[in-house]
Amino acid sequence: MSGGKSAARVLACAAAWTIFGAPQAHGQEGEGGGPARASSKAPAPIHRTADGRPDFSGLYAHGAGGANYGLERHEKTPLIPGGAGVVVDPPDGKLPMQPWARAEVESRGKPERGYDDPTAHCFPAGVPRELYVPQPIQIQQPPGYVLFLFERMSWRTVPLDGRSHIPDAIRLWQGDSVGRWEGDTLVIDTANFNGKTWLNQNGEMVSHAEHVVERLTPVDGDTIMYEATVTDPIVYTRPFTIRFPLRRQAGELLEVACHEDDVDLEHLKAIKDAAIAAGSVQR
Amino acid sequence: MSGMRTLGYPAAMAVTVALLAETAVGAHHSFAAEFDETRPIKVTGKVIEMKWSNPHAWIYVDVAGDDGKTVKWGFETGGVNALYRRGWRKDDLPVGTVVVIDGWRARNGTSTANAFSITFPDGRRLFAGTSAPKADEK
Repeated sequence: MSGGKSAARVLACAAAWTIFGAPQAHGQEGEGGGPARASSKAPAPIHRTADGRPDFSGLYAHGAGGANYGLERHEKTPLIPGGAGVVVDPPDGKLPMQPWARAEVESRGKPERGYDDPTAHCFPAGVPRELYVPQPIQIQQPPGYVLFLFERMSWRTVPLDGRSHIPDAIRLWQGDSVGRWEGDTLVIDTANFNGKTWLNQNGEMVSHAEHVVERLTPVDGDTIMYEATVTDPIVYTRPFTIRFPLRRQAGELLEVACHEDDVDLEHLKAIKDAAIAAGSVQR
Repeated sequence: MSGMRTLGYPAAMAVTVALLAETAVGAHHSFAAEFDETRPIKVTGKVIEMKWSNPHAWIYVDVAGDDGKTVKWGFETGGVNALYRRGWRKDDLPVGTVVVIDGWRARNGTSTANAFSITFPDGRRLFAGTSAPKADEK
């Protein structure tokens, strides 16, 4: 196959992808999935399971824009996608960080701190970040559970049987989730976090005191409105809430073997080591 | 794929600019930390290897320097899943293909960079799937 023909095929496929399933807006982060299923038709009716609950089963892409680079509104730069902001409470769209936390976030935003982002080391992104990293999300609903499968090869299980959280001493990257239905809204309560996750590449933070309540409400058969209220009195002066849609996509989950050929971590470590040697950052 | 192949060049070209306006796809780390947006780079080189791997694909090219010596450059692209969903396949850049790649240099000073777009000698341009929403405007 000649280079020319290859290029033509790439362009043609790209054209098809754009025609059949363009992203929502320029400047928004790639959402990871394939073509949207129904872009110009009337909204699909809400799918339901045999017991009458909304059936969210399917592949989704987030509509959180550049939230993985900052939950607040931020301008795009050559290497940082912009974001309109997903914080809906407080009403000003600002994260209600304690002053020390704001200073830490500013530090984490420096190149020499890029090495410290746990996802750069292929750790799970945590909650709610798993919902707005740039890969699709598979939701499954076997009886008694809702399962989230993330393309970065992590998952969350949400039992719906009314059980309590696991003992407080057990701390997890993804936390411990329990769910319940409030009408058509799936409410997920998640605790037992290890406090090691970052909320995004900008370094916005949570601690081991993080507690998240997520609400997934069907808008139509292809759209879920996702909302997460984060409470963390160590880092924040008050709870905050983010909101964005999850949109059903065609296609299927693929694999991301994150350690396969990860040369980025080596680069990021060299940048941090140089900063340590220069005394501008601590080990 | 076969249905998509029937689309002609005009349709493909019409959407290329839109694709170029897209942003990071698949990054598990900060591009802004690893690469320097104040140091854009543009090279013409011959493809040595298209490394189709996670968490990012890499395109390696031989670039002739001003001193006549050949330097091997590595350009990071988006994640392979994102490239796959955009229609890329791992044999789309055969060894020996001459390309112009533009992007941003790594902060560590090595011959590596974050790719934004790939241009063929006839002017056709591909989106590399990394970042840079405004790169097509520069």
